[in-house]
Amino acid sequence: MSDVRNNRREAGGSSVITANRLLDGRIVWQVAEGDWSPMIKDARIIPNAEIEAAIAQAAARQQADGLVGVYGVQIESDEAAPTPVTVRERIRAFGPTVHPDFTPAAELEAHA
Amino acid sequence: MPDTIPAPALPVGHYGYDQVDRAFLADRVEQFRDQVARRIAGTLSEDEFKPLRLMNGLYLQLHAYMLRVAIPYGVLDSRQMRELAHIARTYDRDYGHFTTRQNLQFNWIRLEDTPDILARLADVDMHAIQTSGNCIRNVTCDQFAGAAQDELVDPRVHAEILRQWSTLHPEFTFLPRKFKIAISGSPNDRVAARFHDIGLVAKPAPDGGTQFDVFVGGGMGRTPIVGVHLRDDLPEEDLLAYLEAMVRVYNEYGRRDNIYKARIKILVQALGTEGYRQKVDAEFASMNRARYRLPPETVAAIRARFGTPDLNAPDDAAAQFDRARRADPAFDRWVRTNTHPHRAPGYISAVISLKPAGGIPGDATSAQMDTVADLADRYAFGEIRVTHMQNLVLGHVRQDELHALWQALRAADLASANIGLIGDIIACPGLDYCALANARSIPIAQKLGARFASPELQETIGPIEIKISGCINACGHHHAGHIGILGVDKKGEEFFQLTLGGSPGSDASVGQILGPALPEDATVDAIARLVDAYLVHRTGGERFLDTYRRLGAALFKDAVYATA
Ligand code: SF4
Repeated sequence: MSDVRNNRREAGGSSVITANRLLDGRIVWQVAEGDWSPMIKDARIIPNAEIEAAIAQAAARQQADGLVGVYGVQIESDEAAPTPVTVRERIRAFGPTVHPDFTPAAELEAHA
Repeated sequence: MPDTIPAPALPVGHYGYDQVDRAFLADRVEQFRDQVARRIAGTLSEDEFKPLRLMNGLYLQLHAYMLRVAIPYGVLDSRQMRELAHIARTYDRDYGHFTTRQNLQFNWIRLEDTPDILARLADVDMHAIQTSGNCIRNVTCDQFAGAAQDELVDPRVHAEILRQWSTLHPEFTFLPRKFKIAISGSPNDRVAARFHDIGLVAKPAPDGGTQFDVFVGGGMGRTPIVGVHLRDDLPEEDLLAYLEAMVRVYNEYGRRDNIYKARIKILVQALGTEGYRQKVDAEFASMNRARYRLPPETVAAIRARFGTPDLNAPDDAAAQFDRARRADPAFDRWVRTNTHPHRAPGYISAVISLKPAGGIPGDATSAQMDTVADLADRYAFGEIRVTHMQNLVLGHVRQDELHALWQALRAADLASANIGLIGDIIACPGLDYCALANARSIPIAQKLGARFASPELQETIGPIEIKISGCINACGHHHAGHIGILGVDKKGEEFFQLTLGGSPGSDASVGQILGPALPEDATVDAIARLVDAYLVHRTGGERFLDTYRRLGAALFKDAVYATA
């Protein structure tokens, strides 16, 4: 859910957009307009200068897309794959640290 | 009175629903089913739907929806436990999490499934009402109620009366903030009565009836406060009238402008104990007392809907028990830590630890829940209690059957001998699940549990309570920990602040901050040094808390911060 801690954005940085799915509450990341993935590695990377407009656009169609709580997450600038700067968003992206079976990557593998 | 109702028809240890209760729950489920359908269709926005789902215990957490199921006064029967196991297996990920409010949380629930889950719960007389929102929450109770040797009054009948009084109470549905009541019937406080909005301790009245000690304005969170003693002589017949007056004064004067100052503890501090008492007394005096009177017949009628166990141990139960203890040192160790004396000869209460070394405090798999249900049927009249320490209790076990019970628990990985010891850690879900968290609680608990896994070491260290919260909301009761651990956020990274000297019991105190917060990877080592310092400086049979109270914080501060 939206949180004041997620509004810390550095001017030169980049962010990705996230939300929870309405039906099952699970976390997704925006790949393109109307297209969302459980895997942060698929997420579209947006310069912070443009992120507010992109969030507003995604939020405007969240009911149609079956989402709740759309917001932006700043990512590390020096990582190859999108990696959130805060531990909270890393746990959202990569799953609870106490159940290796319940991470998005493990789930993807289980359903492959 | 003729004995027309056979006792087994009623569940042992909690109130048996009647048709009125069941019809109400069924209606409530259908109402929520309609609300969910409207939310999915988009005719209800998230802002409109959120308060409705919260009234049904459904939160949106970090990774998924979380459903918090009420376990009134922490007592459930084996049929209910099996249903919880079934829900965990069918709709969640094969486990549930028992909380410090004696409730159960499912962490991976789908919105779409929730009406069906609530319908299944209603089938076994359960629900998720009053587990969220600014109402009077599920009342908590002594886990040894009705069994403990030191108990003066069984508080569960009064807990049930409070449940019925407070459930969907029209005047108290939108209080300034949530409101928590705990009740005990023992002079040894096992419910943290002094850390609740209202804490009640039932005891015999001089006329042979029941009366209550009343504490008010205790709480944890951002402003931890030990509650004040309001009175020691509240007669049973005035219980509801007086509580109604107490909550009314809060509802009228409690602050609604600032969420951090909205709990009753802030009001009681602002008015002073005397000022608050005067307002309550004035309200009480102006009430129609006849309307709120709790007559003995009503108490008796509620009591009659509780099943009672037929306690009838063989004469040699205690002797058999002694022999088993002498023959089996591992069993004997578990008995020393995980049992509590029972009021009836030949009986004992057994605590099932949900804290295996390195495990997640309070988690139980579906299979473990089924096992506990089976063991409750076999050994404890089908009755199970949840403790605010996130463990389970079988209240009435025959002493001559305890060894067999322990063996069955051991086979299900449910026989950790650590109750009250360093492995018996309270941990809230923290940042692994909770949307409000600053830091993870569970991994710290797991590392501490693994570090102090040895039962011998735990017994050597002796009674010590470690409690961990992932944020200042303090669901992990860190303020009341002998050692409290609070997760804080520093620029998006996890740090942990230690507090020492808290206690939830009759000697309640708020833990004091030791010093600057520690990084995650330094926290467990720091606590190990702190425990070492205690072992060096304790005298006689001192608990950690006693040593801390005798010597103060300085030496512990040195141990934690003076690293080479
Ligand atoms: S203490 Fe904070 S982190 Fe822990 S469960 Fe409560 S709100 Fe969540």
